[in-house]
Amino acid sequence: MNIGWYLAVSTLIFSIGAAGVLTRRNPLVILLCLELMLNAANVALIAFARMHGNGEGQIFAIVVMVVAACEVCIGLGVVVALYRRRLPIDVDELRELQG
Amino acid sequence: MTPKAPIIDWAGLSPLVALLGGAVIVLLVGLLRPRFVREVIVPLLALATFATAAGLGIWQWGEQISLISGALRLDQLAIALMWIICATGAAAVLLSWRAVAPREAAHGEYYALLLTSAAGMLVLVAAQNLVTLFAGLELLSIPLYVLCATEMRRETSLESGLKYLIIGSVGSATFVYGLAFLYGATGSTDFAGIDRALNSSSLVSDPLLLTGIALSVVGLGFKASIAPFHQWTPDVYEGAPTPITAFMAVATKAAAFGAFLRLFDGALLNAQADWGPALAALAAITIVVGNVGALGQTSLKRLMAWSSVAQAGYLLAGVVVATKLGLQATVFYLAVYLFMNIAAFAVIIIRERQTPLGDDIAAFAGLGTTAPLPAAVMTVAMLSLAGIPATAGFIGKFYVIEAAIDGNYAWLGIVIVIGSMLSLAYYLRVVAAMWMLEAPEAPVSTVTGRPALAGGDLDAPAPGAGIEVYAVAAVFGVATLFFGIVPSPLFDLAVKVGSSLTSLF
Amino acid sequence: MSATTAAWLVLACPLAGTVVNALGFRVLRGRAPGWIGTLAIAAAFAFAVVAFFALQSRGPEQRQLVSSLWDYASIKQTTGVDARLSILVDPLSVLMILVVTGVSMLIHLYSVAYMGGDRGYTRFFAYLNFFVFSMLLLVLAGNFFLLIVGWAFVGAASYLLISFWYRRTTATRAGIKAFVVNVVGDAGLVLGTFFIFRHSGTLDFLGTFHGVGRDFASHQGALTAGLILLLVGAFAKSAQVPLHTWLPDAMEGPTPVSALIHAATMVTAGVYLIARMHPLFEHAPAAADVGAIVGCLTLLIAGTIGLVVTDLKRVIAYSTMSQIGYMVMAVSAGAYVAGLFHLMTHAFFKALLFMAAGSLIGAMAGEQSLDRMSGFKRAMPFTFGCFVVGGLSLAGVPPFSGFFSKDEILFIVGHQGGWHWILYAAGYVGALLTAVYTWRMIFRAFYGPPCPEAAELEAGHLHHAEVHRNPATGEEEDTDVGFPGPEHHIAEREPSMKVAMGILAVLASVGGFLQVPGVTNALDHFLEPTFADSRFNQSPSDPGLVTAGLVLGAVLGLLGIAIAYVVWVRRPGTSARLQQRFAFLHRLFVNKWYFDELNEILVVRPFMWIGRFGQQTFERVFVNGALVGGTTGLVKATSAAVRAAQNGFLRAYAALLMLGLVGVGFYFLLQAA
Repeated sequence: MNIGWYLAVSTLIFSIGAAGVLTRRNPLVILLCLELMLNAANVALIAFARMHGNGEGQIFAIVVMVVAACEVCIGLGVVVALYRRRLPIDVDELRELQG
Repeated sequence: MTPKAPIIDWAGLSPLVALLGGAVIVLLVGLLRPRFVREVIVPLLALATFATAAGLGIWQWGEQISLISGALRLDQLAIALMWIICATGAAAVLLSWRAVAPREAAHGEYYALLLTSAAGMLVLVAAQNLVTLFAGLELLSIPLYVLCATEMRRETSLESGLKYLIIGSVGSATFVYGLAFLYGATGSTDFAGIDRALNSSSLVSDPLLLTGIALSVVGLGFKASIAPFHQWTPDVYEGAPTPITAFMAVATKAAAFGAFLRLFDGALLNAQADWGPALAALAAITIVVGNVGALGQTSLKRLMAWSSVAQAGYLLAGVVVATKLGLQATVFYLAVYLFMNIAAFAVIIIRERQTPLGDDIAAFAGLGTTAPLPAAVMTVAMLSLAGIPATAGFIGKFYVIEAAIDGNYAWLGIVIVIGSMLSLAYYLRVVAAMWMLEAPEAPVSTVTGRPALAGGDLDAPAPGAGIEVYAVAAVFGVATLFFGIVPSPLFDLAVKVGSSLTSLF
Repeated sequence: MSATTAAWLVLACPLAGTVVNALGFRVLRGRAPGWIGTLAIAAAFAFAVVAFFALQSRGPEQRQLVSSLWDYASIKQTTGVDARLSILVDPLSVLMILVVTGVSMLIHLYSVAYMGGDRGYTRFFAYLNFFVFSMLLLVLAGNFFLLIVGWAFVGAASYLLISFWYRRTTATRAGIKAFVVNVVGDAGLVLGTFFIFRHSGTLDFLGTFHGVGRDFASHQGALTAGLILLLVGAFAKSAQVPLHTWLPDAMEGPTPVSALIHAATMVTAGVYLIARMHPLFEHAPAAADVGAIVGCLTLLIAGTIGLVVTDLKRVIAYSTMSQIGYMVMAVSAGAYVAGLFHLMTHAFFKALLFMAAGSLIGAMAGEQSLDRMSGFKRAMPFTFGCFVVGGLSLAGVPPFSGFFSKDEILFIVGHQGGWHWILYAAGYVGALLTAVYTWRMIFRAFYGPPCPEAAELEAGHLHHAEVHRNPATGEEEDTDVGFPGPEHHIAEREPSMKVAMGILAVLASVGGFLQVPGVTNALDHFLEPTFADSRFNQSPSDPGLVTAGLVLGAVLGLLGIAIAYVVWVRRPGTSARLQQRFAFLHRLFVNKWYFDELNEILVVRPFMWIGRFGQQTFERVFVNGALVGGTTGLVKATSAAVRAAQNGFLRAYAALLMLGLVGVGFYFLLQAA
């Protein structure tokens, strides 16, 4: 199968993720969308790895997965901290810092 | 067939091992109960770790070797940038000594995260492979997301942490996507392999490659706060605990530009015709945006953030030209940037802890008469950032402009000069506030641990600006002045670093 | 200790003195700042002597040493901007540092007492040390870069010291005038450096000199133009026509300042510059001729003005101008050693004359007009003696030092033949004038019936004015701040002044024996390595001309003194009669050849007009309206836009990031197409 199809899927996933980041206000959902963006990269990496016939892309994809997990952990931690401080869980409300 | 493990050069890897090992030790020691251990031993251990790493760097100076099958490379560029990172880290430890943030987040965790982040930076500046590049970038970012949010009772700290995390992750996702495309186009994650692939084929106009470059420009540009990917910078810098802001401002920048140099002036050098003009345009935009954004800021941390955006533009000019002179200029400027920024942030911390005004410029009114020494340090730092002669900043800027002109980007040199002119407007405003305004009458002495507005408990002892903060301010202020008058040691260092990227000339 | 180490220490001592005095002004009490300053210069002098011996211990071929402390901004070796902090130690610079530190040391010693009653005592010594540092930097500089730095520092120090009594309006105005004229010279120096650097490709002195034949072979015009610009710098510093007008006004500064800066050291910077640049001047004879002619004109013009000025210090100032005219003429015409010899002897006797004048002004309680002085001979025997020694030396009476140095200049200039004979003749006319105006001053101040102040002093009491008046305008002065205050010091009562003047008197008397024609040639020998490459190096031997010159010089000197004696002592009315008889000339001289007025009409007024036009029309309409308004408007608008984008909405940030991503992506994909 042509590499173009894989890339199309991956680009689609990336765009959905990006659109989600732009439109959603709940940080949890935004984190999920970020996962989508990272996984789009994973799809591309695996596809390229198959295309080139070497394992480097697969290793890269595993590293990306680890990183994605870490980022979500941190994100959840911050959300919990926000919740404990009784702050709204809404990124649009967080605009103390501006200018 | 038994798989053959790669040969690991432990000596070359030792600085990284020291940082990570130190992080583990600090984390464990931080679990001990006695207050003395947590508040004194732990920071001391962190300091010792930074010192060890820097010392191992001295030991390894002059080596040009690949580590772990070409995943990392130990050369003068890596070591010089590691020194900058370690110096920043050590300064951040001292600046955090009596700060609120480590108390709130537990000392062990706080310092361990700092060390881990520094380790990530070291990986980043030594990376020779897309995988290690990305891993390093994340290893530096993720602890920083946490560190930004460590003053958990302060709303803005949490806000900055969350903003940094989300925007940072968008940047990372973009970056990794770009790296994936680079891999796809060249068939290799290894920098040497990419270089070979670009060298041997007409790949330089391949859409896959160009998309990859575009995406990685965005990803790295985000880390280095290149406009228009800079918008997180002012908010995060303002919200984060000030020692962390100082650490981010200097070390992250050094690491990001290290990565820029490795990736663009190393692996992608043959595609310079593609990315050169784009990066130059971004540099110009960054210089303008950073400088005009800083005008009229009243929060000094915010002002420093915008200023760091502008400085990123100057630094990028050294990357754009892709010459040995540009590499030297970038490294030189990063070193200079270390001195002047840390000096400025140390004084900001002094004022933050002494007045209830925080980092507002009003806290600096009349400082020249009430506390001449911090005011003098701040003045030197501001003048250096503005690039006034007899300060290190002048030489740094001179070097960068020289590199830009030498690399046929004379117009970028002119933009740098115009940017410097604009920058005088806000740097001198700080200087003027210190020396020309009257000190406010009857300074309010009831400074508490946390701003009462953010729900801080008023009983907590005020963290005074101890001797360590003054020492940091003095050392880095003097260094700013010293290297403005005697720049040759830094020149020599920069010239030695210039030999590490062998493909440049 | 090597010569270069010693030379660096020579630089370091006055700098240390400056810093100590400048920082310690709250702590230092009494005369401590004065002694600190003096010690710093004494140490510098000691190191200068060390440097001298260290240099002499090397072979004549190896007496040009360059030493760099560190690179300042030598980024690329290929572009050749070698802005190193490097000094050049050779016989010429060592001679200069010996003269500068030696004379400065004595003047510091003198000032310790002379400035004793001044409110700005510490400030004075901080400035004075700074001046010495700058001057040493100037003469030790090993490249144009450092030369310009030293040159500008010297100008700044001179400004600070001239307007030292900053409550005196005439003093501040004189300071500004000096500074402006000096900056004109600085501009000349810098531009000249550019001209030379453009073709030589190096800022280093020795590099420039070695490459002069090759670099400028086809750029003769550029070299001449560059050197004439350098000469503008030299003329401004050395008060040569037409950039001399600041020097007489500079006498508003305290007398030690006049002695140090405006007689012995700073004003000789131009002479030093020409001597230092001699390999270049020899490749551009046209430029050298300009120097010689201007020097000659200056010595005549200043001599005539000196005849009629009545302000004691200004007489000496015009005499300084005139003597520097000799030196500039000498070094421009190839008489390098003679010019530097005269520089040295002049430093001795002129510093001496100024010190003696300071003592006299002290006795007059600040009054400087010769019209008010008379008959001080018995009241101030020591000062009188110093005046006589200085006067004899200045007038060129054998065997005092000025006699030998002046005659050597004229001999070598005359020996060149051709139109140089005009210079030769003018030099002797100038010598006669010198003798007349010098002794006019001495006779008027010391002979005749004692004036009230002199009588008071003879009775054992030093005169103190009830109110202080500005000697130039007669305005009453504010003595509380930055002004000499009620105390005055005269040499007769202050040992330190006496010692300084005594040493200088001895030097002024015997300094000439370094270079007695046909007998000694110590200076020739010493300076040989510097000027070895010069085509004027072989000192001509022409015993006939030498003897004629010596005799003529001695006769003219004595004749001048005799004329002065007749006119101002023997027949006191003669002067007034001469004034009536030659009213036109007298008016011309009294008005200083109308140079100030000429400057006013040719330079100041047009510039004022341009300035007024610029301020009232150009700046308001174009600069403020279009440029500044437009730019600030643009910057403000951009700033507002950038900050409006910074609205705190996280999603907006992400959106901009995406937008940027799309933009960058598009750019790169367009590359692919």
